[in-house]
Amino acid sequence: MIKLQDVCKSYYLGKEEVKAVCNVSLEIKEKEYVSILGSSGSGKSTLMYLIGLLEHPTSGKILLEGKDVSQFSDEELSRIRNNHVGFVFQSFNLINKFTVLENVLLPTRYAKDKIDFNPQKRAEELLKKMSIYERKDFFPNNISGGEQQRASIARALMMKPKIILADEPTGNLDTKTGDEILDVLESLNKEFDVTVVLVTHEKPVAERTKRKIYIRDGKLVKKYI
Amino acid sequence: MKAQNGFTHLFKAAMADFKRNKMRTLLTSLGIMIGVLSVVMLIALGLGLRNYIEEQFESLGANLLIIMPGSSLSGEGGLSSFGPGLIGGIEFDEKDVRSLQGIAGVDYVVPVSFKSSLIEAGSEEKIGYVESSNEEMFKILNLEILEGEVFTKSDVTRRAKVGVLGYLLAEDLFGDPVDGIGKTVRVENQRFKVIGIAKKKGDNEMDNSIVVPYKTTFGTLNPDKSFFTIYLGVTSDKDIDFAKEKAKEILLKRYEENEFSVTEQAEILSAVNQIFAIINSVLVAIGSISLVVGGIGIMNIMYATVTERTKEVGIRRAVGATKRDILNQFLTESVVLSVFGGLLGLIFASLLVLIIRIFFPAAINLLSVIITLVISSAIGIFFGVFPAKRAAELSPIEAIRYE
Repeated sequence: MIKLQDVCKSYYLGKEEVKAVCNVSLEIKEKEYVSILGSSGSGKSTLMYLIGLLEHPTSGKILLEGKDVSQFSDEELSRIRNNHVGFVFQSFNLINKFTVLENVLLPTRYAKDKIDFNPQKRAEELLKKMSIYERKDFFPNNISGGEQQRASIARALMMKPKIILADEPTGNLDTKTGDEILDVLESLNKEFDVTVVLVTHEKPVAERTKRKIYIRDGKLVKKYI
Repeated sequence: MKAQNGFTHLFKAAMADFKRNKMRTLLTSLGIMIGVLSVVMLIALGLGLRNYIEEQFESLGANLLIIMPGSSLSGEGGLSSFGPGLIGGIEFDEKDVRSLQGIAGVDYVVPVSFKSSLIEAGSEEKIGYVESSNEEMFKILNLEILEGEVFTKSDVTRRAKVGVLGYLLAEDLFGDPVDGIGKTVRVENQRFKVIGIAKKKGDNEMDNSIVVPYKTTFGTLNPDKSFFTIYLGVTSDKDIDFAKEKAKEILLKRYEENEFSVTEQAEILSAVNQIFAIINSVLVAIGSISLVVGGIGIMNIMYATVTERTKEVGIRRAVGATKRDILNQFLTESVVLSVFGGLLGLIFASLLVLIIRIFFPAAINLLSVIITLVISSAIGIFFGVFPAKRAAELSPIEAIRYE
């Protein structure tokens, strides 16, 4: 599905170049449930954003279904993200001035092609599936962390994506709620064949996935230390 | 089904932000509001002044030729020749008046001399104007008499020491203007018996004048026996061109071509309009400075907004927003902010103009409404585009991590 070849990504902190990810090659296959495990600052989130086509790598290639995305324009990358990628974040990243329902509908605002479903209906169905339908008119600040994360998963699923990228989705939740969120992600993979990439620094969380990718100091390693 | 990424969503998002920051929104719009208010008010006052002057000219009556020192107000000379001709130019005399009376189609000839003087009655005194002319003067002034009568041709011929008082002058000198009838007023030691009081005309000059027979002032108030202006009343508008040519012909015998002008009322009006167009542009240009300052205020706030909402930009980019979507979002906000200020300014200006209209014919026309909306949108775009561009160019990964 998506292949990274010798991918590097660096940032500039002032004048200093920071290599967040370096020479990473990996492949994520369709319908896979995979985790990227690494400690804080290891570059795992950057790696996830690169997989999610949020930005071009500094060097190396990203192949999406065989096509090199480095040639894609911002418009094309945005369209792919909108249609095929769903992000779930540690801090939920809902927009506080919008209600839960409006947040879930947000990706449809940026759809450039015709949508083959009724956005309102689908959003409500997803909220029901996530068991937070009764919270649909609440603002994110007024609901619990677990509920916010469920809302953000509903948002990620809105455009029927092929891949869900979850960055420490349980990081801001208590163990019980975290487990429930992991159950939801797992069921998405099992029941709906959605590819799920789970980024975490917690080994037990990674243990739940079928495959684990270890990252340290921006490089892939064989073992998690 | 097409996604709703239209203006409605952008507008709603902008409104949601404004609601959360009511005070900031109001203060930012205030800059544009003041700018628009000043520009619209200046246009309104300019228009009002022009209307006022046009009314004054129109009240002079139709088919009038105006002969003045100095070269033409309009036409070849243009406005540039307006100034110097008036200062230190020629003055007309009775001989000119007699010659002009001979033109076929000319109904009446009205010579006018005019000066500002201290006018006294009993112990009261006031600075007013002395207009010396003949009996036909009242025709061109369209002056209505409140009490008494106007002087006649024979009053002019026999140098009668009589005068007609403007309403305000009479009021200041006698309390109740009507009480002035039969009383005597003094102007530079010359006495005039008040035989008529004019109705209030709303024209400061006329309402503060005393109109006296011109011959009476010869050698005293008008020692040179000269006139500043001569009006020719022409029978019908068909005769205007002929009378104008004839008048020029006659005057050219005594004066140089550039020493006098024979102008139709319409020409003076167009010259006045030209002058006001220039004055108006200058005023609007000055008012526009405040619009620019308002625009900078918007830019400042938009930069702050972009920084504040960096994370939101990251989230929107993650769910599929393009750079252009982000640009449009922030641009919409600054335009809405600016147009909101513009509308507020327009509303306040309309209210002010309604109040001013009680005293003065100020006016807001459709053009100033359109200009306001176009300019405030343009300011929104111009000053919003830089912050919006910054938002659009944010690195999505860095934006999403921004705390």
